Amino acid sequence: MSLRRFLYSFPIFLTVFLLQESFVTQMRLPAGGFNVLLIVALIWAALCTPEIGALTGFGAGLMMDVSQTSPGPMGHWTLVLIIACYAIAFLGYGDDNIRGNPINIVLLTTIGVVAAQAVFLILGLMLGQEIGSISNIFFVLAGSAFWTAIISPLILKVISYLHAIVFGSSSRI
Amino acid sequence: MRYGGDNRGRLLIIVLLVTSLFLITLDLRGVQVIDGLRTGTQTALTPVQKVGSWVVSPFRNFLSDVTHLGRTRNQMEKLKAENDKLRLKLQSRQTADAQLKQLKGVLNLAGTAGYKVVNAKVISQGSSTSFTQTLTIDAGTTSGIHTNMTVLSGYGLVGVVKYAYANSALVQLASDPAFKIGARIAGTQQIGILSGQGTRKGVLQLLDNTTQVHKGDALLARGSQNGRPFVPGVPIGEVTSVDNSPGAVTQTADVKFYTNFSTLGVVAVVVSGSSADPRDALVPPKPRPTPIPTVTIYATPGAAEPSPTATK
Repeated sequence: MSLRRFLYSFPIFLTVFLLQESFVTQMRLPAGGFNVLLIVALIWAALCTPEIGALTGFGAGLMMDVSQTSPGPMGHWTLVLIIACYAIAFLGYGDDNIRGNPINIVLLTTIGVVAAQAVFLILGLMLGQEIGSISNIFFVLAGSAFWTAIISPLILKVISYLHAIVFGSSSRI
Repeated sequence: MRYGGDNRGRLLIIVLLVTSLFLITLDLRGVQVIDGLRTGTQTALTPVQKVGSWVVSPFRNFLSDVTHLGRTRNQMEKLKAENDKLRLKLQSRQTADAQLKQLKGVLNLAGTAGYKVVNAKVISQGSSTSFTQTLTIDAGTTSGIHTNMTVLSGYGLVGVVKYAYANSALVQLASDPAFKIGARIAGTQQIGILSGQGTRKGVLQLLDNTTQVHKGDALLARGSQNGRPFVPGVPIGEVTSVDNSPGAVTQTADVKFYTNFSTLGVVAVVVSGSSADPRDALVPPKPRPTPIPTVTIYATPGAAEPSPTATK
């Protein structure tokens, strides 16, 4: 039942993916900008059970991997997002102090984005990718954290609403 | 522990992790289906990105103006003067004028070197959340663009075509951390390898430790066999500082790229190089200080009136 409901979320993620690839990447925001698909996937996972969180990470990771700007091999972002989304869902599952409080979800998402990028970087190093200067890495990570902290409160309500439509109203913030 | 999970849940996680590792293995082994997925996605996304570029361009221009304001006083004064001029022009012509200027610059550069180029508009700039520096242009294989072709702006090197699709192409910028190019110093002909660092600055590593490199030296592309990926003679950047550490095995220098990658609107892809190496012909001229006119007045006691003498 949950798996079937999870499939209903595919059009939502496809729309977010198109939004990211067609509009967000065009804005040329300072400090590296943000990845709306990554943010949505982590917020979505924070509202789910760990299994659905991992499935969400798998789906969103596949979308990020087919993006032409993804430097790593296919499956690189998938692996990272399965782990990140599962971890976030695991932390929030059954704990209303985390799941019921928007500030905690924003904090969790911001940390999750930075952690996911750091894991992506480490995996990339292990796969032989070039990562650039240390200062640039810290600049991009700090930029991501900054933008995620700004964007996630703005879209949290919408995602919570959509999540409630797909999985039932119990998860609504 | 709040959540222990059941066997079915654990199995699902394991299956997902194994699938992702399987995908990584397949991609690293060069399986064609995986490459086809990305190509297909990009082909489908290109029209949407073109619409997105058109919709976002006013916002992007505004944001670009805001982020570049106030870096230095001179820049601010220049911008103010430019803004006064721009007020007189029609709003709708601003984007077109800027692109025309870039196009003129790039055609001048390509014309001087004798390169055959295909012009293209930048339709998307890759997100740097994946630690890469890329952009997408609106011309692809149908316009004669293929992988490993040099991409230029009016100021010099932009990067190299990494992937070419039917109607678009992905360009790896020279600032990308994975970017490397054989470079030579104009005049002295010393050679080295320039690497991107994720910013507008690159690092030049000289191959011969006994030679000297100086601040202000211009760097040019050495060129590759058959002009791919790099045609020879393309201006890259200028040396800003030199690391002369006594214990260093090789001499290194910081290089500032001539091209400002964040303001690119129009670029040119070199589809065939010139028959002869342009050598140092494309090195941009160094800015010459404008002489300031001064007036010296010699006053002689007892003379009727002092006579002004203009000197330069």
